[in-house]
Amino acid sequence: MEDKKTTSERTAQGRSSGKFRCMNCMERIAPPAGAKQVKCEKCGFEWRISWLGPTFPRCRGPVWEVNRRLTEEALKERNK
Amino acid sequence: MPLSRKIAYVDLSTGEIDIKPIPLAIRKKYLGGRGLDMYILYNHIKPGIDALGPENVICISAGILVATPSSASGRTHVAAKSPLTNFIGSTNMGGFFAAEMRFAGIDHLVVTGKSEKPVYIWIHDGEIEIRDATKLWGQGAQQTQQLVKDELNDREIQVLTIGQAGENLVRYANVMTLLKNAGGRTGMGAVMGSKNLKCVAARGTMDVKIAHPEQALEYNKKIVKEITSAKVSVTQGKLGTPMIWGATNSWGGVRTRNFRSNQFEYSDAIEPEAIDEHIIGWAGCFGCQVHCRGRYKIPSGPYKGVYGEGPEYTAQGAFCGEPGCDSMEALLTGNHLVNDYGMDVLEVGSMIAWAMELYEEGILTLEDTDGMDLKFGNEKALIEMVHKIAFREGLGDILAEGPLRAAQRVGKDSEKYLIHVKGMSNLHSDERATPGLALNIAVSSRGSDHLRGRPAIDLYGLPESVLREVYSQPVKYDGPLTSHWGDYEGKPWMVRWQETCYAAVDCTGICKYHTIFLGPNFPNFEEWSKLLYLNCDLEMTPKEIWDVGERCYNIERLFNIREGLTRKLDHLADRYYDEPTKGGVPAARERTIDRDKFEKMLDEYYEYHGWDKNGVPTKATLKSLGLDNEPTHTL
Repeated sequence: MEDKKTTSERTAQGRSSGKFRCMNCMERIAPPAGAKQVKCEKCGFEWRISWLGPTFPRCRGPVWEVNRRLTEEALKERNK
Repeated sequence: MPLSRKIAYVDLSTGEIDIKPIPLAIRKKYLGGRGLDMYILYNHIKPGIDALGPENVICISAGILVATPSSASGRTHVAAKSPLTNFIGSTNMGGFFAAEMRFAGIDHLVVTGKSEKPVYIWIHDGEIEIRDATKLWGQGAQQTQQLVKDELNDREIQVLTIGQAGENLVRYANVMTLLKNAGGRTGMGAVMGSKNLKCVAARGTMDVKIAHPEQALEYNKKIVKEITSAKVSVTQGKLGTPMIWGATNSWGGVRTRNFRSNQFEYSDAIEPEAIDEHIIGWAGCFGCQVHCRGRYKIPSGPYKGVYGEGPEYTAQGAFCGEPGCDSMEALLTGNHLVNDYGMDVLEVGSMIAWAMELYEEGILTLEDTDGMDLKFGNEKALIEMVHKIAFREGLGDILAEGPLRAAQRVGKDSEKYLIHVKGMSNLHSDERATPGLALNIAVSSRGSDHLRGRPAIDLYGLPESVLREVYSQPVKYDGPLTSHWGDYEGKPWMVRWQETCYAAVDCTGICKYHTIFLGPNFPNFEEWSKLLYLNCDLEMTPKEIWDVGERCYNIERLFNIREGLTRKLDHLADRYYDEPTKGGVPAARERTIDRDKFEKMLDEYYEYHGWDKNGVPTKATLKSLGLDNEPTHTL
């Protein structure tokens, strides 16, 4: 049986911790420990956070009003 | 010999039982589970038969790695001609049944004919009996399992059963085991019901021989470590699959109010963390460490205090997004009811949401609904419709027929409101913004379905280099691959690759959540090659396992073509092309599927499979897979 690294092992090297991806622009966000919501520095969208562990943030969902407003602005710009 | 295993044939019309060995040559071509089941269906089912008639054949099987030291190797596969679509029927479920059936000495059970009265099949240590099930008929899935264990006086028995929906031939009735493990697509429960087969019980104390036990255990430890340390598994173990619904809803990929929106805004009351407040423990399937099934007690209402398991992503779609309800009570109650009646939660939610839209459009009236105000958001009407479908009462009798037959009965242009492919409703996701995912559901071999070829990691925004690592093995691919889910380029290959991957893993009996479905660094063909050798002494390269998946997918295609499948049916409902999305982040807004680009994707997809422009496998493709002489009736 061959013992070289499998695809799974090779791709696992790129893992990140303490971050999640912005659901709008896919940028990785590293919120401050215990934060309840965070703003993506790249696109400005805001997300609510739940913590699965002290260093394990999860995007719980959008901050609805903020993201709705930003989306409407972006659509206006796109459809000009 | 690890592969000295058995297949059993039971004819319910005559009562004959025949147990045979499974030839090694067939094993190497199809492994087990879904692959071998598809071979049997293609060989044993005559074209054009009534799926609810005695000529239909139903297979219940274990994958080749089930009950070995391979992580999450507990999947049961159930297959027959589908009474919902008239194409291939195939469903794959968790729990402990397949492992117990293997411990009882049987890998594949093939049931034909129809019993005159209700019966169940009892498999125990190499023996099979057909037993009277008169007392079980009319019982829900939970009570049936209890009664069988009581009758046979053994708490360790595993039971695969139908609920009342299967007895009433609801065309999307499930096969169930334990509280919520569901063989939940294509109506396999209705096929069992049509045969007067209430359930199959298994109990075994026989060995499943392992070829290289110490090495197998050691290698499995490595896989377990890889899976349990991944963020997606940790999240799944804490929140279950609702975490997927929550994430998808955040950007606008969730089908809401039939197809009126792609996001359920302000749905915080039923998001994963809110469900978690009702969870009292977690359960898992055979050989799995993730434990993604929550256990809960219904908090209020007529079913207060009743235990349930889940809810899953699909239940959130069925009882929240689709009917536009944000009630925890409706979610947990509805989830419990579909599991006990034994119905596909996905189809139930879709059919009710369709009826709600028809009601709001004035196509259905109070007269049609027996006075029920079936508007979106009416949680009481939602739960009432679940009962009515299971027992085929009033409008429920129409909805129990599934999308196409129901639309035929309602008439009045109601078909254009259906969200289905090949007569099976779509997952409660909205693929208008994600062309790769849209292609997947359009071409899926069992009708619209995400578990047949969804390139789910397409949603992760992974760098192209990682995508290339994944999608360029075990066969070379140097075409386009793009990181954005909104693109069309490269997606046909991703779908075709995932189809082969999922078909192969369904032949092994390992859960899809332990494959590249959830993460790029999860096991795939290379790991399965090692597992097959260590557990079964079967030396197969990753490419040979790829060929097994490809063979499985092609024989399903042949079955469907024989039943009338054409290119025209590998398409989406018109609303995908014509109605722009209204919710979600900017990249998901105002999106439709572009017809021309979709056709181009379909051409590419066929080409990658070695099919012609009509989606028919070429002679060369069939020859390369050793399918050119099928059906051969070897087994």
